[in-house]
Amino acid sequence: MGLFQCNASILLISGNDLMTFLDGLSTNQISGPCTAPFTKENAKIIDVCDVIPVGDNIALVGSAEYKDDLVNHLSKRILGRGISITDISHLNDVFIGISPNTVPDGATVHDSTFGWMMICPKSISYRPTWTEEEWSEHRVMNSIPFHGHEITQDRHPYSCGLETLVHPQKGCYIGQEILTRMRTRGKTGKTMHRELNPVENATTVGHTHSLSIKRS
Amino acid sequence: MDCGTCDSASPVIMVQPDAVEVNLTMTNKAKEMLEDAFGDDRSHALLVGVLSGGCSGYMYDLQIVESTDLPCQELNIGGFRVLVPSASSHLLDGIEIDYVDRLMGGGFKINNPNAASSCGCGESFS
Repeated sequence: MGLFQCNASILLISGNDLMTFLDGLSTNQISGPCTAPFTKENAKIIDVCDVIPVGDNIALVGSAEYKDDLVNHLSKRILGRGISITDISHLNDVFIGISPNTVPDGATVHDSTFGWMMICPKSISYRPTWTEEEWSEHRVMNSIPFHGHEITQDRHPYSCGLETLVHPQKGCYIGQEILTRMRTRGKTGKTMHRELNPVENATTVGHTHSLSIKRS
Repeated sequence: MDCGTCDSASPVIMVQPDAVEVNLTMTNKAKEMLEDAFGDDRSHALLVGVLSGGCSGYMYDLQIVESTDLPCQELNIGGFRVLVPSASSHLLDGIEIDYVDRLMGGGFKINNPNAASSCGCGESFS
């Protein structure tokens, strides 16, 4: 058991038809809690967010580093639909890893592609139980990509181990033409690998193995 | 999760493009098809809007409506009422509405000088 505190952003999206709005912008099908990549027209990642319904609203938990790009991407496409975005990052801490025995009152838990996620109000002052090194080791041993390492804005979802987050049947979304062509032609380019050390150009280095992005 | 329902969180200030005065043209073929659709009834209007989504980011949205709650600019093109939502006016200024007579992929088409690219089916643009 262990939890790492992420450098995450949390955007609370409010308004009508939120699922439809977000679903049209993500490679994954958004109809409830899930992890969803948002991509540009060239299929490169803007951010990969955990989608968590909160009452009538939706919380998007993504990378703090990419928050401004995501806000810009979403806000340009609201087009008078009465949707608002509130940044609640400063009110909460986000932890990821393996579920602890007990969850503090007031925390929200979510089953993320990256692991078991817990969002705690800062007032709880929950402390992480994993260092970044321990989280990295866990990721390497379980081939889990993560923000800033494998997941960067110069990569598409297929190249950083997020192929399960590209829905094969859903309709149009930004970047679909490119991703569908890659999949149907079997040409997804570089992919994520886990190999025994030493690994050249590793994206995450573990004790015995490392993750890297390279052509097969 | 603290959702910021108190004053501790304020909405992100989103930079929205200013509404522009839309110039819009329609080909004769498109007018003919609208004539067929509307008949003599001019109480309805053609709503030309933009939705988010599609392969390229934005999708055209054509509807025949009696009225709409959206703040709109109302134009008169060839005797037809055309409504353009103000929120998407910056994306629609200068467009030409055409009608393509084809068994596959036919129907109303929009030629948009603002579009940097469009997807293969022609329904979305960026």
